[in-house]
Amino acid sequence: MNDEKPYRKLETQALLQQIAFRHGMEAMAASEEGTLAWVSSGFPVEIPVAMNVFPTYPEQAGAIIGATKIGPEVCGFAEDLGYSQELCSYARASIGSTDRPDDVAMGALPKPQALLGCNNICGTILKWYDANSEQTGAPVFLLDTPPLEAEQKPHHRAYVKQGLERLIEFLAKTFNTTLEEDRFREVSDLSSRAIKLWTQSLKACQNKPSPLNCADRFLTMAPVVSSRGVEHCTEFYEVLLAEVEDRVKQGIGAIREEKIRLLWDNIPPWFILRFFNQLAAQGVVFPADTYTHAWSGAVEGTDTDSLLDGIADIYSNVYLNKNLDAKVDKMCQLIKDFDLDGFVMFSVRSCKRYSLGQLVSKEIVTERTGVPGVVIEGDMVDSRLFNEAQIQTRVDALLEMFV
Amino acid sequence: MSYPEVIEQSNQVLKALVDAGERVLGYIYPHPPHEIIIAHGLKPSLVRTNPSVVGAYEASLQTFSCSLTRNLFSQRVNNSFPQLAGIVFSGNTCDALQNVGDVWRKRFPKDNVFRLTYPVGDLGASSVDFLAMEIKAFSDELASLYGEEFSESSFREAIMLLDEIRNALQLLYCVRILHPSLISYNTLSSLVGEFLTAPTQEAADRIKMTWNEVLERIENMGQRNKVGQLRDSLLNHDLSDFETVIDTSGPRIAVIGGMIEPNTVAGLLENVHGISDTTLVLDMLSFGFKTVFTPPVGIEDDPYEESARSILGAHSEPTQEGLPKRITFLKDVLTRLSIHGLIVCEQSFCDPDEFESPSLERAAKEVGVPTVKLPLDSELSDRARIEGRIQTFLETIDDN
Ligand code: SF4
Ligand code: SF4
Repeated sequence: MNDEKPYRKLETQALLQQIAFRHGMEAMAASEEGTLAWVSSGFPVEIPVAMNVFPTYPEQAGAIIGATKIGPEVCGFAEDLGYSQELCSYARASIGSTDRPDDVAMGALPKPQALLGCNNICGTILKWYDANSEQTGAPVFLLDTPPLEAEQKPHHRAYVKQGLERLIEFLAKTFNTTLEEDRFREVSDLSSRAIKLWTQSLKACQNKPSPLNCADRFLTMAPVVSSRGVEHCTEFYEVLLAEVEDRVKQGIGAIREEKIRLLWDNIPPWFILRFFNQLAAQGVVFPADTYTHAWSGAVEGTDTDSLLDGIADIYSNVYLNKNLDAKVDKMCQLIKDFDLDGFVMFSVRSCKRYSLGQLVSKEIVTERTGVPGVVIEGDMVDSRLFNEAQIQTRVDALLEMFV
Repeated sequence: MSYPEVIEQSNQVLKALVDAGERVLGYIYPHPPHEIIIAHGLKPSLVRTNPSVVGAYEASLQTFSCSLTRNLFSQRVNNSFPQLAGIVFSGNTCDALQNVGDVWRKRFPKDNVFRLTYPVGDLGASSVDFLAMEIKAFSDELASLYGEEFSESSFREAIMLLDEIRNALQLLYCVRILHPSLISYNTLSSLVGEFLTAPTQEAADRIKMTWNEVLERIENMGQRNKVGQLRDSLLNHDLSDFETVIDTSGPRIAVIGGMIEPNTVAGLLENVHGISDTTLVLDMLSFGFKTVFTPPVGIEDDPYEESARSILGAHSEPTQEGLPKRITFLKDVLTRLSIHGLIVCEQSFCDPDEFESPSLERAAKEVGVPTVKLPLDSELSDRARIEGRIQTFLETIDDN
């Protein structure tokens, strides 16, 4: 049966489910032990992990809520509390599932003892965690990483580093723990290795046919978000890379017949990942996307001080913390490196930081690369904000340009 | 004065300044370093939304950009802005301003667009150091672009001017809270509006004149000290020692939230039936109360550091860390200042507002103060319904 599908399923996906299950169990145990922190996706998790604080990710829980198609219902719980439907649906899903965990089949997280947010992905994170804090009583720690206009200036880095030192104090006080240099180095090494392996898998998609499609990467990025810095995460990426390299060696693509190679920009619509599979039937593959390429920096350093310097640099330099020029550069680079024919920009109503600017960058990217693109609008969790027919028409119009 | 009249008047003032050879620097976020800007020979002016300008942003911004940024962008597309020498976008305050600043640069490459990045974190001295460096870089940019170096003497004059303005406005705010019959909200809001249009000596003189008129009556009532005490408490963000207000002659309403200015609120209340001139006693808005209650810039240290300290000493915004502190302060305001009802404004598609408003409503409920939430957009497109909601809300309070 599987053979008839226009895409090929990754063997490694089975391992992914095990990791997700294990992560969920460990989070539950940590909550009971009083060592659980909810953490934003761009948070320097190497520090809490090294201090034996277990991180779990509300954004990932939001993706699960989206994927299991209960987004509108769970977001609705937050709306009942007065949170506007105009707000980020990850945040609404989190606030909603925290308010009514028993009504959420999958995606409600165990009670945290702290909320660790870093605004290198958006300003929303602080407001969202403030709301979670009122719900759970867990204190919020904000790591403030001011957005970069160009290169990170020395006073930016100094300020972020002071924030990191404050984070260590906060964790020490909240969890009665300390940061040991050896352990910090070990966790940072593991994290860097996982990120390097992940980056190699991403890079392998420069091959034709591409060994991974968008949906493969969206799913397999979960461990690097949730468990970088722990042993089994690194192991997972070793297995994934082996499978990816094997596909490359054998000339096996993620989809059966690769005809058009496109770039995906933004978070995916989790509730309709089949969107990518449907396009696969038309020979469309997405060898690169800006979302999974956000995880490229590895933390390096030899002692606590230099590791903190590395973290202050890497975590400020993430994709969403940079200006429009940097985003355009990145897209143009991906189009060139992955030899892409065009691009699809998903304008996500939830996410102003990712989406505002797309209308302009679309024009610039086309001007600079000569490839066409399309902007489609919707949401990643709240399917009420996704008009499938309209989106299909727009994508079809793009695809016609390649015939 | 209706809001369109406010804009008209503001534009006239700005035009007169430009005609007289002054350079006007527009700002959007309510905490610019006024004194530093003036020290470079420029006049800082709030860039206002204009309800009569609609929908010219679509080629550049999606509909889910906040209504404020959409409106400003539309004005720029339509060339309906007053003549500005440049515009300052804040960085790290909200996602909309962060991104729209970039889009603006691309769409209007000839505009002088500045970016001043603020700390979100409440890190004490580190935050001050960070902002001081940002202000210094901004100051260098002003010098190189306009050819006018930072002037120590203009800086000192600006400090004095801003002190005069803020001082008198702070006292007038307090009079309004304690004895709303002594100064109408309309008068107070248009004086705040003048300050936001341009902190000039003329504006300062008018504000001081109003204060002197009110002062006489306050002194006759033996309330001068009380007004001063309230001002100090508000400046210190701490009302815990302030003796509860007893003027309960009618319903006392406060307004919070929204990147709007007092004039907009005054305009909205104008047509509400049955509202008395003493009803609205306090606004706690981004443009207004929080800009006015900014502590003075000191002259001891480095100017950039002093400026940063002053800005960070203002009441915090929903874009900054510190919700628990803001909630405690709000509860104190509601109880100590005998507020009977709270209007919570929410700008459409404004994340900071929309995230914070449920917390504000819950806090008010906890101290027994009813609330109403008003979703606003810059075009006030739903005006009749908004006025209707305010009216119903006031009637509910009257019944209690
Ligand atoms: S989707 Fe966007 S707004 Fe929401 S948490 Fe992620 S980065 Fe922030
Ligand atoms: S209205 Fe809200 S979203 Fe818009 S600029 Fe102001 S704070 Fe930002």
